[in-house]
Amino acid sequence: MIEAPFVDGIVRFIFVAIVITAVFLISARSLPFLLQTYRLQSLLLAALAVAIFFAEGSTVLLWIAALTVASKVLVIPYFIGEIQERISIRRDLEFRYLAPASSILVSIALIVGVYLSLGNILSPVHADAEPIFFFGAVIGISLMLMGMLVLFSRKKAITKVLGYLSMENGVLIFGICVTELPFIMDVMIMIDLIILVLLTTILTVGIDSTIEVYEEKIRRYSLWNSLWKAREDAP
Amino acid sequence: MSVSFAVFAVLNIGFVLLVSPLFMSLIKIVKARAQGRRGPRLLQTYYNLAKLLRKETIYSPVSSWVMRATPYVCLSMAVVAALFVPLLYIPEPVAGFGNVILFLYLLGLARFFTALSGLDAGSTFGGMSSSRDMSLAAVIEPTSIVVMAALAVVARSLNFLEIARNNAGMLFPASATMILIGISLFIILVVETGRIPVDNPETHLELTMVHEGMVLEQSGRNLAMMEYAGAIKQTLFIAIMVSVLMPFGPVTELSAAGVLFAMGLFVVKGSVVSVILGLFESSIAKMRFFSLPNLFIIAYFFSVLTIFIEVFA
Repeated sequence: MIEAPFVDGIVRFIFVAIVITAVFLISARSLPFLLQTYRLQSLLLAALAVAIFFAEGSTVLLWIAALTVASKVLVIPYFIGEIQERISIRRDLEFRYLAPASSILVSIALIVGVYLSLGNILSPVHADAEPIFFFGAVIGISLMLMGMLVLFSRKKAITKVLGYLSMENGVLIFGICVTELPFIMDVMIMIDLIILVLLTTILTVGIDSTIEVYEEKIRRYSLWNSLWKAREDAP
Repeated sequence: MSVSFAVFAVLNIGFVLLVSPLFMSLIKIVKARAQGRRGPRLLQTYYNLAKLLRKETIYSPVSSWVMRATPYVCLSMAVVAALFVPLLYIPEPVAGFGNVILFLYLLGLARFFTALSGLDAGSTFGGMSSSRDMSLAAVIEPTSIVVMAALAVVARSLNFLEIARNNAGMLFPASATMILIGISLFIILVVETGRIPVDNPETHLELTMVHEGMVLEQSGRNLAMMEYAGAIKQTLFIAIMVSVLMPFGPVTELSAAGVLFAMGLFVVKGSVVSVILGLFESSIAKMRFFSLPNLFIIAYFFSVLTIFIEVFA
């Protein structure tokens, strides 16, 4: 085992870096940059798991790190990168309800809100004994909410997918820091994510468009024809 | 005032005056190389300043004393501000010197006079740039103050000399939150020195001029002073950033060898920041004036987050 203060410093550093990536996920406009940011965030997550392994010594954390690197740093970004190549769109300039500046302000409020509410729930057990893990829980849930913010403030489907993926990163941080996340759970989530990304790869016909145009496109490529017919026929 | 502080004053101001134009040239060279040009010589800014100093000063017939006083105000404010940020040797704090808030307001005074002189000459460009600069100032000032407040919270002191003293001898930033502060400080550096996403220091285009427009009517010695003041301001912000992110180097005990070593080290660290600044400038486009708050808000977010982490976690 390595000395606790040293690991604490590294873990703090990783948390800070994760928050930085989250901010760029909210505000960046270039799709390749967004993808690289997501990749970096996942790599930081793996590093976090390894750092906590050195403090606690539970091998599940190493497995989680390995799985994270394999899936979220390599496989998923590869697929999304492929999609980007195919749709040849490099920038996402459309924001629906919140522009980057206001969504960053909202995320400040989110973090403070999460801190206050978690402080009430966890304080007797965690907050005093292990401030770093409490901080991790706050960052985890905040990252989840910030991912959600990306989901509903962006218009392009491909950015929404990245928001969803970063939400899952938040869940993983919370899992690592607060509860012992069963490894099987993590595998399940990862499979879910890969299927999600695969689906979006298959559905590239419409991924460069907004949800409204998406329906149009599916219709134009005569996918699900019968479904549309059935709906139109209904009274 | 003690002897050590007097030595510090002479050393610090002398060194800032000596080294500031160097970083200016360096940024220009990095930008030129990024665009596939050769760029100016490393000492070009010194030659420019020397040339300007020899030239005649011409005033617009409608201008008042403001036009004449502004270069002196700007340069003296920059030099006084140089007393606040230790570069080579960190003395015991002396009453008032090193205060973060006073530092900001000294620069604010210089900015106020620059904007006034922009209006004073009676040219349309000057008025337009002054109005732009003041609109920017209204947005960036709160951000600067929050960033400095965050720095003060992390470093547990409102005094640059004390902050540097606490950090001296450390190889890495004292805490993870210092990195957040570093990013915020970088944004402040870009904004305060009129670098690319905010303002383009090299063009004389109506669309992009903010700082250039205000000094357009300055000439000769006065222009040299304004440029010099700008260079010093930039070096000071670089020094603040360096003292947060790369704190090793400045000595706390006076010795010739230590000071010389610190000099060399600061030139290296300042060059690193300048190269990063040059690359940053080459890699992004000038922002639309009204989307600038998006940039400031990142600095604001990181500072608020820093305060939050320091206070709660």
